[in-house]
Amino acid sequence: MTTVFFQQMLNGVILGCIYALIALGLSLIYGILEMANFAHGEFYMLGAFMALFSMTLLGVPFFAAMLIAMAGMALFSALTERFIFRPIVGKPLINSMLLSFGLSTALANLALYFFRADPRKITSGLAGIRFRFMGLFLTGERLMILILSVVLVLCLAWFIQYTRMGKAMRAVAQDRTAAQLAGINVRRVYSVTFAVSGALAAAAGTMVGAMFFVSPEMGFTVVLKSFVIVILGGFGSVKGVIFAAILIGLTESLGGGFISYAYKDAYPFLLLVLLFILRPEGLTGGNR
Amino acid sequence: MMKRLLTAAFALLAVLGLYELPLLFSMDYYLHIFVMSEIYAVLALSLALIVGFAGQVSMGHAAFYGMGAYVSALLSVRFGWSFWVTFWLAGLFAGAVSWGIGRLVLRLRGHVLAITTAFFGVLVTVVMNNWIPVTNGPMGIAGIPRPTPLFPGSLRFVFESRLHYYYLGLFFVAGVLFVLYRLVNSRLGDAMVAIRENEELARSLGIDAMKSKVFAFTVGGGIAGLAGAFYAHYILFISPVTFTMSESINMLVMVIFGGMSTLFGPVLGAVALTILPEFLRMAGEMRLVIYGVALVCFIIWLPMGVWGTLRNRLFSGRE
Repeated sequence: MTTVFFQQMLNGVILGCIYALIALGLSLIYGILEMANFAHGEFYMLGAFMALFSMTLLGVPFFAAMLIAMAGMALFSALTERFIFRPIVGKPLINSMLLSFGLSTALANLALYFFRADPRKITSGLAGIRFRFMGLFLTGERLMILILSVVLVLCLAWFIQYTRMGKAMRAVAQDRTAAQLAGINVRRVYSVTFAVSGALAAAAGTMVGAMFFVSPEMGFTVVLKSFVIVILGGFGSVKGVIFAAILIGLTESLGGGFISYAYKDAYPFLLLVLLFILRPEGLTGGNR
Repeated sequence: MMKRLLTAAFALLAVLGLYELPLLFSMDYYLHIFVMSEIYAVLALSLALIVGFAGQVSMGHAAFYGMGAYVSALLSVRFGWSFWVTFWLAGLFAGAVSWGIGRLVLRLRGHVLAITTAFFGVLVTVVMNNWIPVTNGPMGIAGIPRPTPLFPGSLRFVFESRLHYYYLGLFFVAGVLFVLYRLVNSRLGDAMVAIRENEELARSLGIDAMKSKVFAFTVGGGIAGLAGAFYAHYILFISPVTFTMSESINMLVMVIFGGMSTLFGPVLGAVALTILPEFLRMAGEMRLVIYGVALVCFIIWLPMGVWGTLRNRLFSGRE
C-alpha cells in the first residue's frame, strides 16, 4: 500500500513538472499582456505533433525532435501574437478569452482534419531502461522528463531574472507605460513572451507524447488545468506556479489512484473551491 | 404621442410577423431552427443579465442549462411528473445551485472568476458522464415525454409538432423578456450596472455589491435551467455532450455578438448565431475550423458586437 502511494506520488510529481512548464507560459502571457490564452493547449498539442513528425518523417532522434518542436512553436506562437493577439492588446479580458477560444477551436479542428483522431506515441527509446529503488519503479524516460523539465524551468527562471530581455519583461509586467517611457520596446517583449511560452508548451507536449500519447484533442483539459494552476500559484509568481503545478499533479495522481479515476478532471476545481473557502482572498492575497 | 404610436405599430407588426413566420417557412427543418433560436434567445438573455448588466464573466453557463434539462427529464421519466411541474422545478433547482455557486465564486473577479466558472462547467459534465445510476452517463436520457396538453376553459392546447413548440417558445421568450425588462429597469438593475462600471464606487454609495451580483447570477442560472427543461422536452433526448464548455462559449459569443448591455442585442445574437452556422453545414469537417476563424475575426474587427457597432454608427452624435 505505501509503495503504491509513493509510486503515485512520484508519478504526480512528474505530471506536476510538465504542468509547470505549460502553466508558466500561460502565466507569462497573463502577466505581461494581461490576456488569457485558451489556445495555449493547442500550442502544446501542435508542438507534440511537430516532434512526432520530425521523428517519423525526418528520422531525427528524440532530443533533436524536441528542439525542433520548441523552435517551431516559438516561431508559430510569436506569429500568432503578431497577427492575432496584438490587435486586441489592452481590450477587456473577455475579448482575449473569446478570441483565443476561437483560435483554439480552429487549431484543434484543423489538427483533427489533417492528423486524424487516433492517438500516437512518441518513442523516446528510453522507456526500456528501468530503475528500481526502494520498491519504486522509474523508467529512464520518466527520469529524463523529470530532469528535462527541471532544467527548462531553471533556464526560464534564469532568463527572466538575469537577461536584459527578462528584465524588460518584468518591467512591462509591472507597468507597461513606465516601461515604454524607459525605452523598452514593448512590442518585442510581447513577441518574445509568446515565443518563450510556445517553446515551453512544445517541450511539455513532446514529453507528454512520450509518456502517454499525442492526439488533436490533448490540449483542451490541459489548458483549463493550467489556468487553475496559475490562479492557485498567484499570478506572476514563478515559485507559486511550480508549487501549484506539483500540487495539482499530486492531487490528480493520488485522487485518480485512490478515490476515483473517472472524476480526475474534477479535482482541480474542488481544490480551487477549497482554496476559496480557506483563503477567500486567494492564495497570494488580493486577486486581480 | 407620435413616438408611442410608432412603437405600438412596430410591436404589432413584430407580433404579427412572428405569428406568420412559420407559415412562410413551414418546412420542419426551418421550424426546428426557429425553436432552437428561441431557446438560445432565452439562454443569451439570461447570460446577458450576468455578463452584460452585472459585468461578471461566466464561462460555465451551460452547466445550469444542463442541470435544468437533467432535473426536468429525470423527474418526468422516473416519476412521470408533468412538464408543467418539472419545468419550474428545473428552474428552481438550477437557480438554487447558481445561488450557492454564486456566493462561493462571485467574490472573485475577471479571469479568475471566468476560469472558476469554466471549471464548474467541466465539473458538471464530469458528473453527468460518471454518475451513471442517475444520469445514465454518456448514453444520456431518452424517452422524455412531451408537455401534457393544457385545457384552459374550453380550449385545448397540445404540443406535438414543431409548430406548437414554436408558439410555446414565443411565450417563453416573451415572458423572460418581460421579467428581465422589469428587472434591469428597477433599482436592482441600476445597482448591477453600477457594479459593472465601478465596483468600489458602487460599494461606496451603499450598494451591496455581493448581494446584487449573486442575485443576477441566481436569476440568470434559474432562467437557463428553465431553458434546459424546455430543450429536454422538445428534443426528447439529452446527453452530456450538449452541455459542454463550447456551449457556454457559444452563449457568450451570442451575447457579445448582439451587444451586451441591451436586451435586444442578446436576442439578435442568439437568432443570428443559430441561423448562420446552418450555412456551414456543407463545410462538413471544416465547420468548426471556420467557426473558430470567424470568431477570431469577429473579436478583432467588431469588439462592440454587431448591434453595438450599428448603434454607434447610426446614432453617433445624438446622445
